[in-house]
Amino acid sequence: MKRTAVTLTILLVLCSASSALSAEVRSWELDKAHTNFYFTIDHIFSKVRGQFNDYSGEVLFDPENLAASRFSFAIKTASVDTGIAKRDKHLQSADFFDAGAYPLMTFVSEKIIPLGENRYQVAGKFTVKGVAYDLQLPMTLVGIKAHPAVQGQDVIGFNGTLTIDRLAYKVGGGKFFDMGVVGREVEILVSLEALTEK
Amino acid sequence: MAKGDTRGKGSAAGLVRLLPLLVPAGLLVATLAVPFVYETQTLWYKSGSDKTLLRLGQLVGLLAVYLLFLQLLLGARVPPLASLYGTATLLRLHQRNGLFLALLAISHATLILLAEGLLPPLAWKFWPELVGVFLLAILLLTVLLSRFREQLRLPYRPWRVFHRGVGWLALPLATVHVLFVSESFAAGLPRYLLLLLAAGVAVWLLAARLTLRRGGTAS
Repeated sequence: MKRTAVTLTILLVLCSASSALSAEVRSWELDKAHTNFYFTIDHIFSKVRGQFNDYSGEVLFDPENLAASRFSFAIKTASVDTGIAKRDKHLQSADFFDAGAYPLMTFVSEKIIPLGENRYQVAGKFTVKGVAYDLQLPMTLVGIKAHPAVQGQDVIGFNGTLTIDRLAYKVGGGKFFDMGVVGREVEILVSLEALTEK
Repeated sequence: MAKGDTRGKGSAAGLVRLLPLLVPAGLLVATLAVPFVYETQTLWYKSGSDKTLLRLGQLVGLLAVYLLFLQLLLGARVPPLASLYGTATLLRLHQRNGLFLALLAISHATLILLAEGLLPPLAWKFWPELVGVFLLAILLLTVLLSRFREQLRLPYRPWRVFHRGVGWLALPLATVHVLFVSESFAAGLPRYLLLLLAAGVAVWLLAARLTLRRGGTAS
């Protein structure tokens, strides 16, 4: 009986410590008008740029409490937009994202490592077409300040770029790469602004 | 000399008689040649069965639009056709063509969907495709209501108003769908020919309607 009580007390202390840790981290709401997931890929000789217009995300961030900070994003693959509807349809198809079978791509951070000068290595799981991969997303904290246009709100800004091999994530079977039409390396730019109460 | 003249007049008359067949046949060949001569970029990136399905879908769709234009002329019993074939024949052709047209429209949508991995075009940026979906829906509704009008006990006059309304709506919808859904019709000869053809059908239908209103007969 005494042992159970002690165990329960320890658990309660741990839980409250954990929630206190989380509570210290500010939760930021994505400003969708100023947040996006851009990509650039080679097409024979030219560069094709695109973005994903429909996504959701959660940003818990405090530079002083990285252990409890967290990034998570869920991107709707059908929202891929390159400015040409026919091409978007092709990108949605099984030749690339297979949006019918895999409507979401997600990234959930597991650890945020400071690299100095406001740069962070955000390590997490990137799930594409139902398979989770380890991914290191480099993010630069551009700043935190009072929002110049919204009273009572702070704004935070991050930019992150990385290059991935789309074939490693099975985004395409390599047919168009072998044909010399669509490149395998995709440059990604994550650019986000998020707001929170002061 | 006189004998040659007679022969010349005879062959000219034969050619005139054949014109109602030759012109639509020529237009049909030109229509079906478009996906080959003015290949869409979408086809470039398809291979194997997807490419075949997409090309077939395009051909079937164009044939459906061609028959839709013909259907409107048959239904309106436009002057030269009515006098050449008689209104009863035109009505019979209109009914059969309507069924065939509906079948082609369903096949077109199915083939394209299969080629695109069964991904429905569910976003406003796919508005030309959505115009096609709407057109398909009203075409099928029209065919069903016409086929089962008696069983459904639909009064003739409201049915006729709806039937004619769909006819007038189908012409611009089909034209807009083709012009904006297919890169083959984005510019150049196919675009101008389609616009000319649609305008020609509209003028022909209006002329036939005005003739009927003035108390004349379309035949």
